[in-house]
Amino acid sequence: MASGETGKLKILKAEGRELVIERVFDAPRQLVFEAFSKAEHLKRWFGPKGWPLTVCNLDFRPGGVWHFCMKCVDESQEFFGRESWGKVVFREIVAPERIVYIDAFSDAEGNVNEDMPVALVTMEFEDFEGKTKLINRVEYPTEDKLKLVMEMGVTQGIASSWEQLDDLLAELLRRG
Amino acid sequence: MHATLSALAEPNRLQIVELLSGGPLTVGEIAGRLGLRQPQTSKHLRILSDAGIVEMRAAANRRICTLRREAFLELDAWLDNILRIWDDRFNRLDEYLRELQEKGNGGKSSS
Repeated sequence: MASGETGKLKILKAEGRELVIERVFDAPRQLVFEAFSKAEHLKRWFGPKGWPLTVCNLDFRPGGVWHFCMKCVDESQEFFGRESWGKVVFREIVAPERIVYIDAFSDAEGNVNEDMPVALVTMEFEDFEGKTKLINRVEYPTEDKLKLVMEMGVTQGIASSWEQLDDLLAELLRRG
Repeated sequence: MHATLSALAEPNRLQIVELLSGGPLTVGEIAGRLGLRQPQTSKHLRILSDAGIVEMRAAANRRICTLRREAFLELDAWLDNILRIWDDRFNRLDEYLRELQEKGNGGKSSS
């Protein structure tokens, strides 16, 4: 597949806990970036067909939170009436080139659902022949968390045997 | 799906899985190729077995480990789903960007 074909989702990587996809949009970078950064725009494209954003509270800045709800209003769909809440916390914003955020499932009150996977999402916007190439990376940082815990375990002497460390790790992984 | 990701989120286990993707091996062979001690290897294999990723059976005095495709089909289906969500989403963004730009051109609509 030729790189940069407008309109086609290209998978750059899909293994283990990381997914990298690329998509070209026939629009200037400023505009594409803006579509991600304003509630009035997000409401027009973010939700799947039949699932508009009924709630969209966006604080678009590093450390800011985007709390939103997608609700199924399509009577013909199996999940009619169902709500799906999300909570995004922005880590890094460099207009108009990069947005990095933590993406989690949530509830109406804004609590993060710890039973569901939490992703680190990095979006990079590149100028590409007058259009915009978006590279979207979705990562599940379980391995980093694991390494951190192992380091903690060794320096604090928590685990006196491999058995105990294994149990500790399993417990922490389960808690997400 | 979450259990699969958790089981794979450990470098040694990831290596074991990659090794087994080339075909079944005994516990001893796995330990040897990865330079791990046998008890450690057994422990990792138990976790992978509990997560449904690896199947173990006894043959004579050895244990033979095989990768279970089913666990990966589930992971694949999940990945597939994520991909489809983003594909849909980007298609809608595409349409929306077209609208925005057409409005910017004085409301001329294209066929």
